[in-house]
Amino acid sequence: MADPRLGLLFALGDDELVLGHRHSEWTGWAPHIEEDLAFSSIAQDEMAHARLLYGLAREIDGRGEDELALGRQPDEYRNAVLCERPNRDWGYSIARQYLYDTADAVRLEALAESSWRELADVVAVIRLEEKYHLDHARAWFTRLADGPLEARQHFAEGLSAALGEAVGLFEPLPDESSLVKDGVLSASNEDLLGRWLGRLGAELEDASIDYVLERHSQAREMVPTSAGEIPAEEDVLAVPGIARRDGRWVHEGEFAGAGGRHGRHSEDFLPLWEEMTKLHREHPGATW
Amino acid sequence: MTKADPIALEAAVWAALAEVRDPEIPPVSITDLGIVERVIVSDDTVDVELLPTFVGCPALDVIREDAEHAGRAASDGRDVRVRFVYSPPWTSDRITPAGREALRSYGLTPPGHGAVFVPLASLGSRDAPPVPCPFCGGTDTELESAFGPTLCRSTHFCRSCRNPFEAFKPKQAKG
Repeated sequence: MADPRLGLLFALGDDELVLGHRHSEWTGWAPHIEEDLAFSSIAQDEMAHARLLYGLAREIDGRGEDELALGRQPDEYRNAVLCERPNRDWGYSIARQYLYDTADAVRLEALAESSWRELADVVAVIRLEEKYHLDHARAWFTRLADGPLEARQHFAEGLSAALGEAVGLFEPLPDESSLVKDGVLSASNEDLLGRWLGRLGAELEDASIDYVLERHSQAREMVPTSAGEIPAEEDVLAVPGIARRDGRWVHEGEFAGAGGRHGRHSEDFLPLWEEMTKLHREHPGATW
Repeated sequence: MTKADPIALEAAVWAALAEVRDPEIPPVSITDLGIVERVIVSDDTVDVELLPTFVGCPALDVIREDAEHAGRAASDGRDVRVRFVYSPPWTSDRITPAGREALRSYGLTPPGHGAVFVPLASLGSRDAPPVPCPFCGGTDTELESAFGPTLCRSTHFCRSCRNPFEAFKPKQAKG
């Protein structure tokens, strides 16, 4: 991949396409019909955004949008591992959507300042639609974080499972330094990760979810001791790639959940790829 | 064959485009929705630039074909090319007063409360400006879902006339 802009476009487009594919799996199965529509609509948006980004990639790569979306080999996809994980349950799906869309907002904000005019234009359009995804994620964040213990616990478990791999959304891109130097990226992924962690930590703290994450990774029955004390569970938050320093979340150590930006995926990607590309592979050139 | 005056021809193409309807909201024309950004007439071609409302909208392909068809009928034999562009971004402020009235007549509350984007998560809250009912005009309404039957519609319920209704979603840069 000679032009580093392709690595950027595939990272952005493949995140949207692959997570959009996972969102679409809720169609018909969400807890109620409004959520069926919400996840289906968000999936529809994400796939359209991927298409816009592939449209830019086409100018560099030469392959058409369908070929880029569905005709690449598994190791050519550059989505973060987070996006390819199965939906598991509602708590995980909502936690992942919240983490993804808050992270996406940070990077789109930076890309709106890109020196690459065509990319900045497309990003401006995408941002107007992503607001609705963010609203959806935040509405559920509030609902679950303010909810009864079981709701908070369920959401915290989803967050625990997704948080480490969400760091991988900011894994440095191949030849990222030249993208930053040319102003295509107005900030490095490491900087963007710092911005996101700052906002995320504050939001989770405001909702006291960080406390649930840190101290009560499992809700256990509280049995008073003979001294009348309730033994506290001290499961300290241990998310790979993230540490607490002076009450703030910072990036530390390796990029957890990394590999996607270099085409290295988890065991969950191949089955998704096989399903997503099946029609395209069996009927080359098929159109609607 | 004499070529028509480019200025008159441009006006004729705009007039033809004003007859093209949104296939999902037939009373509204694409010019009233603010989708048509530019018509560029040259000696041999007419280029029409459209802005997508919501980029994942499946009606966009139909709109492009219909616009091509309408443009060709008005273009004095010139080659008509219709394409979507992404700058400036389409916002719901581009909908004309006539377009807003047409939306209302179709049972869809038109978007926007001035220039401020209203996050839908707060549309249901007490502080949010009310989304009026398109049927009775009542403002005692509640948001049911920000995601309706199409990408551009949200669903609501009117407590005054007890009708469910839909609204065209605001899309604005501010907020």
